[in-house]
Amino acid sequence: MTCRVGVDIGGTFTDFALLRDGEVTLEKTLSTPQDRSLAVMTGFEKLATREGQTLAEFLGGVEAIIHGTTVADNTLIEMTGALTGLLTTEGFRDEIELRRGYKEDIWDVRLEPPPQIVPRRRRLTVPERILFDGSIYRELDEDAARAAIRRLARQGVESVAISLLFSFANPVHERRLAELVAEEIPDAQISLSHEVLPRAPEFERTSTTVVNAYVGPRVSRYLDRLSERLHEAGFERDLLVMQSSGGVMTREYLRQSPIRVLASGPAGGVVGGAHLGRAKDAPDLLCVDMGGTSYDVSVVQSGAAPAGSGWNWHHRYLVAVPMVAVETLGAGGGSICRVQNRALQVGPESAGADPGPVCYGRGGELPTVTDANLVLGLLSDRSEFAGGSFQLTRKGVDQAFEQHLAGPLGCNVEEAAFDAWRVVNANMTQAVRRTTAGKGIDPRDLTLLAYGGNGPVFAAIQAQQLGIRRVLVPRSSPTFSALGALAARPTIDEERSYIVSAGNADLERLRSLWQELAERARGYLRSAGFAPAEVSARYQLNLRYPGQNWSLTIEVTELPGTDEVSFVTPEVRDAAIERFHRRHEQEYGHLRAEEEPEITGVRLISSAAVPAPPFHGGFGAPVRAATVAGTRPANLGHGFAPTQIFHGHELRPGHRMCSPAIIEETFTTIVLYPGWEARVDDAGDYILEATAPE
Amino acid sequence: MSQEINQRLAARRPGLDTRAEIDAVTAGIIRGSFETVCFEMATHLGRAASSAIINQSNERNASIMDANGRLAGLSVGIPQLLFISPMAVRWGLEFQEQDDWGPGDLFVGNDPDHGGGHLPDYTVYAPVYTPEGRLLLIAALQAHQGDTGGKDPGGFSPDSLDIFHEGLAIPGIKIVHRGEKRRDILHLLIRNNRLPSFSGDIAAMIGACELGGRLLEELIERYGAEGVAAAVNFNIDETERRFREEVAKWPDGSYQADVWIDHDTVGNRDVRVHVTCGVEGDQLTIDMTGSDDRPELINVWNTFSNSRGYAMAQLASMVDPAIVKNEGLFNAVEMIIPYGTIVQPPPNKPAALGAFHPACEIGEAICIALSEILPDRASPQVYKLGMPNAVIGFDAQGQMWMDQGVDVRSSDASATQGVDGWGSMCSGLGNLMLASAEDAESRFPVINLGRELTTDTGGPGRWRGQPGTLNVKKILEPTTAVAWMVSVEHPLRGLRGGNDAGPYGNRFNVGTPEEYEVEGSVRAQLPENAVIAYQYGGGAGFEDALLREPQAVCEDVLDEYVSLEAARERYGVVLTGAVADGDLAIDIEATAKLRQELGAAKAERER
Repeated sequence: MTCRVGVDIGGTFTDFALLRDGEVTLEKTLSTPQDRSLAVMTGFEKLATREGQTLAEFLGGVEAIIHGTTVADNTLIEMTGALTGLLTTEGFRDEIELRRGYKEDIWDVRLEPPPQIVPRRRRLTVPERILFDGSIYRELDEDAARAAIRRLARQGVESVAISLLFSFANPVHERRLAELVAEEIPDAQISLSHEVLPRAPEFERTSTTVVNAYVGPRVSRYLDRLSERLHEAGFERDLLVMQSSGGVMTREYLRQSPIRVLASGPAGGVVGGAHLGRAKDAPDLLCVDMGGTSYDVSVVQSGAAPAGSGWNWHHRYLVAVPMVAVETLGAGGGSICRVQNRALQVGPESAGADPGPVCYGRGGELPTVTDANLVLGLLSDRSEFAGGSFQLTRKGVDQAFEQHLAGPLGCNVEEAAFDAWRVVNANMTQAVRRTTAGKGIDPRDLTLLAYGGNGPVFAAIQAQQLGIRRVLVPRSSPTFSALGALAARPTIDEERSYIVSAGNADLERLRSLWQELAERARGYLRSAGFAPAEVSARYQLNLRYPGQNWSLTIEVTELPGTDEVSFVTPEVRDAAIERFHRRHEQEYGHLRAEEEPEITGVRLISSAAVPAPPFHGGFGAPVRAATVAGTRPANLGHGFAPTQIFHGHELRPGHRMCSPAIIEETFTTIVLYPGWEARVDDAGDYILEATAPE
Repeated sequence: MSQEINQRLAARRPGLDTRAEIDAVTAGIIRGSFETVCFEMATHLGRAASSAIINQSNERNASIMDANGRLAGLSVGIPQLLFISPMAVRWGLEFQEQDDWGPGDLFVGNDPDHGGGHLPDYTVYAPVYTPEGRLLLIAALQAHQGDTGGKDPGGFSPDSLDIFHEGLAIPGIKIVHRGEKRRDILHLLIRNNRLPSFSGDIAAMIGACELGGRLLEELIERYGAEGVAAAVNFNIDETERRFREEVAKWPDGSYQADVWIDHDTVGNRDVRVHVTCGVEGDQLTIDMTGSDDRPELINVWNTFSNSRGYAMAQLASMVDPAIVKNEGLFNAVEMIIPYGTIVQPPPNKPAALGAFHPACEIGEAICIALSEILPDRASPQVYKLGMPNAVIGFDAQGQMWMDQGVDVRSSDASATQGVDGWGSMCSGLGNLMLASAEDAESRFPVINLGRELTTDTGGPGRWRGQPGTLNVKKILEPTTAVAWMVSVEHPLRGLRGGNDAGPYGNRFNVGTPEEYEVEGSVRAQLPENAVIAYQYGGGAGFEDALLREPQAVCEDVLDEYVSLEAARERYGVVLTGAVADGDLAIDIEATAKLRQELGAAKAERER
């Protein structure tokens, strides 16, 4: 008997997914921004009530609570982190400010710099130097270090980031500095770069460590508080937290690098998508999540959501921990449409939920994507919206379009709405292409998975533009991230840098680096309650040709979770090199067989198996035509035409619908554009397929 | 001969032949698709290339031309260089018949006298045809190569006397014919390059360009050849209209500036760039007449394509950044680039270093001239570094290695009205990713000892320039170091009463009896463990430093961008307390008095 709960905190709603003996129950409560753990407790009470138990009984029987949180993201957006200081190697005080030269807009000389987490007065240097091979070139000057630390103390620094050159090769100076900081500023939180992100290069590692120091205290406080509340209420285990890599881990593990929870919300959705795709025989997915303000795109390959570490910019700061790659575009239902210099622009400004689109009737005056969809008949003011919480209104919509779009463009209201629809569509298609660019992925080989309130309105037309022939719309799409948290596996994904020509690689060093990673992972996973036999470990090597900046991660072997590394032989290394040549040719169209690649580091992904929510696929039920609930004129890309309307709650497995049609689901609307048909599968999810020949 | 070619290549070209009508929204969608194709090409190249300058520094630029050689779209890259590819492509276009152009072909060119920028900048381009076989578009990639097969490794020789010293000049040659690589030609190119990574770079450029061609074919299939042609025409016309609309708002007049380069590479002093910006109605004319034409000058000759491109990069930064970058920019601006001067040299002049200076001074002069009327967008899009210290050695196998000094640094990040200079360089170079110490030291026998901002090197102003950095490096093996120092006597100029940036400087053999300041140009043999220290110039200040908010000056002192002394002497701000104690406070009375005195003294001097 298993009982696991996934919890995902969003801006508006906190979502729950309860898995008990293979059955999933979903629940929602309003988020409580002042103390987000309150909404979590309210949701648990609701779940307990539904299960006919007291909260204590219910929580006592829960095996795992898996939690996705935006607290790190919010801290960065609001800039409300700890007063942070940085200690770094003498001579390298300013890397963090110089950002390797990066500026977000090369054409705008008025672009303002990002606020500095560690302004120059709070980033101080210490005399010391370690070289690339870990040897000590200059001993740490402890007196000078103490002086620098005291200067930070005088400024009231609460959290100290320590990032020294080549600390990943030899952490001895970082460790000693941490001791000195602990002596001089006893209450300070300390982030060590060789623990947060033990890899080159220095800007990426330092920036990640600084952001970790900045958001860490708030993340830790939040998780501690939530954990306490849960324990007081009867939960006996340790909370598991979603990471940006798509895996979950314990608070104990995250205490060292709380930054790993940044951007974990979208990652949860992608992990859920991967899990769903496997059940539906669609291992390669393009996941699109369109909500009120943004459009998130990511790719699932071979049933997994790949996490990349390195050049990940978040809210203008670089955070290089492994992250499920999610490209975000400011395009959602609330995105504002306007004409500027004769060009129609959609977003990134959003009317949000309040006042929201004009058709929400809450005082919004600027036309939005949702308003355009209403004008086009894709949405209706006669149907319930957002789970029946209210109805859209046409009042004021036409005037808004006339004034802001149709007038300036010299067309009528319907044409203006159609243009807005076309532009947002094109923007989203470009965002998809940017996501797949440079990765050797052809969108045509993917299945599109659409979720979020607005994703399914555009899914089929986008699929068509990208050459995709199959679209999945899960019925549970509004709580997908919570469901994803249930599907996510406890995972530790870490790297160690070791830059060396592959042929000269010291196998003993490779073994010891992997062994170190394996021991760490095993320790943390064991204290999270997973025996080594339950853990599997993927050993990977990062490789590149000499002179390249970006490495490819190459699978070496997958083993049960032991730290037995005797598999590292010259043959295994040579096989990895061979695999690297082939991958390079596959992704970039050429290989340099005559050249010896470089190893840049080792990576180990250890994960434990857990019971995941079941998704079903297939079509057992007999196919039959669904009952049409009505018709209304709608413009599905070819002018207004009578369009069949179906009600989601009346549809059952086996039901089939032909285009043009609109399916009104509880929290979303699915548009069947010409050339598409839809079926409801055995799990109640929608499968859309292109009918025209390829 | 070359003047005639340049004029022909630069002349305004007609739109594509189509009778199709297109609406603004569809044209905008197709434009977005072009930009995404460029992004995909550049990303592919950046990830697949071998040399750091492409895959790490991002010196790679993707653009799309139409069948008439007009710039139809581009991706983010290095603005100056993005505007060069069309000229190289136009040269190739003249030989469609003779060279048997067809689908699946790919060409490369780098010759400054035939549309190119300078030899290191290779342009690879792929013609794209409609299903009916009509040439419609050309996908192009431009990337900097670490070597050009000239007399010196690296392609930059301060003592080059002509283009042939600098390496292999390729006016335009087919490297892929109907989808088949031409092995013999590629072998010739690879043979003429010292760097083993070149073969990977050229292969990556070919792969990325082929990808661009395929993606454009798909676009043509989706929107139809007529639709794409109409969109290209519409977008180019729209950019011209938008640019002229901005110019029409500027006050009519003639705005001039001189910018000086300390000296050429053999010591001819005070090389002059002169620009007159004429504004009349919606017509902007950039006239470079008056720029230096001394025939004895060495290595300060900027090729015609570069002069055009650098001028446009500066102009594009001075208008609404939302204006789409394409041929419409060139259609809106008249450029007068006199032949026989350093901005349009006679044939066969060395070209490598001219792409630094006077190329950048063209942009700077335009910026200074127009700062009179466009204060809120005046920020020089330049790098004033002469050339970075290039350190060249050979490994045990005899293979050359080169640390090109593209280190994290701050240089020339100037202020503009309302915004202090920030980050590492001007905004236009915000895609140029600078090398990291940990990567370089894993690869080369160097130890980076320091690369910090130098207090007081940012030009004082009401808005302050970002300080420059001092990059100190120890080189463990004997090497050859090459440098050319400028912006020492003529540093980056302050704008509208702001102060000049701190000057550049460079010292070799630091800490030994043989230590010396590098002046002019140098090619030095350095012994093992030599230390070199390169001081980058800062960014320039904007408007009078005495107008800077005293609180901002106080913050600057706390952050050690500005010293206590400079706060007093340059900004007229009197502070009490000590930086290390963090207890600085403004002496309001003393500050007011001092500012009055300094202001009066300044007025006196100006009189």
